[in-house]
Amino acid sequence: MSAEIIHFLIFPGGLFALVLGIFMLSLERIVVARLQGRVGPPIYQNFIDVIKLFNKEILVPKDSKEIVFMYAPVLGFAALIAMLYFIPLPGVYEGAGNNSDLIILIYVMALPAISHILGGSASSSPYAAIAVNRELKLMLVYEVVFVIIAFSIALYVGKGSAVLSLKDIMNYQLNNSPLILDWKFWPAIVAFVIFVLATMEFPPFQVAHHNDADVMDGFLIEHSSIPLAIYEMTDALKIVLLSIVFQIFFCPCVIGGDVVVNLLFFIAKTVIFVMFFSLLHAIFASFRIDQAFKFLIIVPTTLSLITLVLVILSIKGLI
Amino acid sequence: MSIITRSPFLFRINTGSCNGCDVELATTAMIPRYDVERLGCRYTGSPKHADILLVTGPITARSKPYLIEVLDELPRPFVVVAIGTCPTSCGIFRDSYSIEGPLDKYVEVDVNVPGCPPRPQAIIDGVAKALEIWKRKIRDFK
Ligand code: SF4
Repeated sequence: MSAEIIHFLIFPGGLFALVLGIFMLSLERIVVARLQGRVGPPIYQNFIDVIKLFNKEILVPKDSKEIVFMYAPVLGFAALIAMLYFIPLPGVYEGAGNNSDLIILIYVMALPAISHILGGSASSSPYAAIAVNRELKLMLVYEVVFVIIAFSIALYVGKGSAVLSLKDIMNYQLNNSPLILDWKFWPAIVAFVIFVLATMEFPPFQVAHHNDADVMDGFLIEHSSIPLAIYEMTDALKIVLLSIVFQIFFCPCVIGGDVVVNLLFFIAKTVIFVMFFSLLHAIFASFRIDQAFKFLIIVPTTLSLITLVLVILSIKGLI
Repeated sequence: MSIITRSPFLFRINTGSCNGCDVELATTAMIPRYDVERLGCRYTGSPKHADILLVTGPITARSKPYLIEVLDELPRPFVVVAIGTCPTSCGIFRDSYSIEGPLDKYVEVDVNVPGCPPRPQAIIDGVAKALEIWKRKIRDFK
């Protein structure tokens, strides 16, 4: 019982993921700044940001639906904290022993975006309304991409009957070779990278958020203080969760059986993951919403469908 | 207390500037060499997140209500920095029929950054001075 509370609040979920995620967001800012030839903030910058936001005055707009406006951020945060408890960490943590957690993962990945949509639409700002509309359009497509990728992996691992347990997917790759080395999954990996860019709203998908030239701060425009800090922390948890999901799906490699070594290896892999996305962040400009929508509906969807077809063919024994 | 003053969020408002000052402000955000992010600053898109307000331009009759609205929306305590000659004295637009400035008619200005337009180094120096003032204001606010 107490071990489970520790798993939920401190070690793979809760505090550990939060601290790691906030450091990763700072690291992302530093890498982008260095690639642009600037110095960038110190590594603890996002920590101070969050602490500062907790100390500020809370402003609530007069026409907003106050309850939704104040508590919508908690929805996404709670969902990610709970998911980090369910999901296994390669070589370190077993997961909560559920045998269909892939389904839960697919549901939970949508909740941070839904909390953005709820919080933004409750705030009664026209900028937030435009941003919510855009977020909704993007979400409709990138969730489909994620579902197709997850489904092809589940089919491949189960040799025709879908395996919905993340632990089984991980163990399959530990016993055979990781899927990142399998050419059939390379289109899916590219699609996953685009999915991460879209769900974290890094450029080129920076259409609904932090787009000062266009919608100001998008759905966050009316939030201040603690709700804003919770949104920042949700982002931090999301980047850690995405890194774990990427590792489970494509490369759950471990070194030996030692938990500490595996944990350090996991952190190193997460750092590389974040630095790769910072590189993409630094080199892309922003799409317009119609371009982003068309791109998402054509490129990553096609790539993930190619993987699905290849997987079905290989199950039938044709390739 | 001193730790939270290392994370100021900046918001900029253009109250009818000729765009010279805005271009110089943009250079402090994104081109190599001049970088306010090393002071921990971040440009935000909403006055509700901001701690430091950067104002460019003389206050024109059209932009005055928006300036007052933005000043109303800032969470207290905040610091106001006037970028360029325009908000300080209306600059070359002084005595025009459409000008309602200068800025200190509406709010107490904490830092003036003179120049038409000021150099990016001067703007960064102004932001650094604003950080000191912000620290003092937080102490007094409590
Ligand atoms: S100070 Fe000079 S450069 Fe700046 S807005 Fe005024 S006229 Fe333009």
